[in-house]
Amino acid sequence: MAQVPDQVLPSAGELPSKVNTTANYGPLNSYWILFPITIVMVLTGVLRHYASVMLAPAAKKIDAKTMREQRSLGLGVALRTNYHALTKKSFDARRETLIANYESGAYLKEPDRKGQPPANPLSDPSQMDGMMGMMKNNMAMIIPNTLIMSWINAFFSGYVIMKLPFPLTIKFKSMLQAGVQTKDMDPRWMSSISWYFLCIFGLQFVYVFLLGSDNAASQVAQQMQAQQMPNPMGGPGQDPDKQFKAEAENLAVVDHYSVLDDVTDRFLEGIKA
Amino acid sequence: MAPSLLAPQGHLSPAEALQLAQQAPEILRSNPKAISSSPLVSLFTASETAELWTIYNNLLIACLRTKNDQSAHECLDRLVLRFGEKNEQIMALQGLVKEAEAENRDQLQAVLGEYDSILKENSSNIPIAKRKVALLRSMGSIPEAITSLTALLDFNPTDAEGWAELSDLYLTQGLYSQAIFSLEEVLVLVPNAWNVHAKLGEILLMAANSETESSGKHLAEALKRFCRSIELCEGYLRGYYGLKKVTDQVLSQSGKSKKQDADEPKLPDQKQVEKLNQVATEKLGEIVRRYNAKEKLWQGYDADEIAAAKTLLEASAPQLVR
Repeated sequence: MAQVPDQVLPSAGELPSKVNTTANYGPLNSYWILFPITIVMVLTGVLRHYASVMLAPAAKKIDAKTMREQRSLGLGVALRTNYHALTKKSFDARRETLIANYESGAYLKEPDRKGQPPANPLSDPSQMDGMMGMMKNNMAMIIPNTLIMSWINAFFSGYVIMKLPFPLTIKFKSMLQAGVQTKDMDPRWMSSISWYFLCIFGLQFVYVFLLGSDNAASQVAQQMQAQQMPNPMGGPGQDPDKQFKAEAENLAVVDHYSVLDDVTDRFLEGIKA
Repeated sequence: MAPSLLAPQGHLSPAEALQLAQQAPEILRSNPKAISSSPLVSLFTASETAELWTIYNNLLIACLRTKNDQSAHECLDRLVLRFGEKNEQIMALQGLVKEAEAENRDQLQAVLGEYDSILKENSSNIPIAKRKVALLRSMGSIPEAITSLTALLDFNPTDAEGWAELSDLYLTQGLYSQAIFSLEEVLVLVPNAWNVHAKLGEILLMAANSETESSGKHLAEALKRFCRSIELCEGYLRGYYGLKKVTDQVLSQSGKSKKQDADEPKLPDQKQVEKLNQVATEKLGEIVRRYNAKEKLWQGYDADEIAAAKTLLEASAPQLVR
């Protein structure tokens, strides 16, 4: 009685053409794919931020000897740049003392180890920490990305999730339709994996809004940071003794003049002008 | 100028400190006790700013000065809640509160003992090391303060504040050449600080007056230091004051010829010194006049300094007029 006519259902003959199109689109896709991907991405970002806050090593305490070593070098640099504030006599006295101390290694953390090659960074626990920190950071970036990407690939590969409300040229196909190999589809359609990539690069502002501007959620920002300062403190790997020697040489070649030399002339001239 | 809670507190007069401390209840009421770091809460409330903690820090000091211990403790509690007990600056602030509340020497001695034990644990705790120096100084044992400050500066030689304090300590002991050395060390670190140039000039002038054999070179350097100070900050009263003093002295001593090293700063010739003296006198007169006339842009001077300048001008006025 209530027989469904065969023609209403797609016939077996017509099915392959439908199934073979790798792009699937339905009005619900946007709800069941677009929003989950976005929410998962945002949440991972937040989670990554808190994980990196938790994993961050406590600010390293510098013991007095290390501080002495670093800041004595700093004193030499300051003297070299600001020598003009001193009279010749007091500059010369300071220069002699600093050069003598630099060359004898009096400021070194371990004066006995002077001249020996720097220790292997792998055996020094304090430098191990820095490497572990870098590793942790990299891990915090790689693991979630791998997981999410494989999750999207496993569940949503080949889904087209939305249609942009504005026309685009054909060049955008590779950007917006990654993972969907259809030649003829309008570039306005966007595939799930492309949405994932857009999220990676575009969620930074959401994180700034949620977590504040110095968050650790966005891996893009982190990578840029890592490139900018490859070796914090300039310290490990460099032999302080060599740095001291170089600084002593720099000091020795300073040609001294003092701002006090003809300050009265300048002063009176400035009054006249 | 109204005192600000964001600026350093060192120079404030008691009245200004009181004025700041009276804002304490208002500030403590209008800011939350703790600032949540949760992302959801931060969406709805104002986020924390670095200024707030500076304000608490300065408010704490102002409250301690004015014996407003309750507000001071409230500030300290909030700072501790935010930064934890182990933060070096917080430890120093806690020590400061204890110092302020100590009623007799024994209690101060106990605080000093605490500092020592903290420093034994972590010798590079600079805030505590500085508190120790300050406490020793206020307890009157200046030589010990000098010893511990030099120990601090040995491993932290790029600390301009420390060098300036050391110079001041030496000065109280009358050790001029050490004071001069320390202040020069400050100049190595901050070469354009005009107040330090003028301060160095003052110490050089004192040194010139106390020792006889090297007074010539000290005078010459003092004169140049004051000139440099004015060159860096036109209208710096102490610079002009010092310049006037030094040139007065040079002019009164003129005639005695002194042989000088080539390395050392030379005194300019008589004519130049006279001109400098004249410039300084004029400028001091202008500053005093405009300050007393309540001109709007000339009110930044310290009243005591103006009074001193006035006295100096009056003392030298007759010989100038006639």
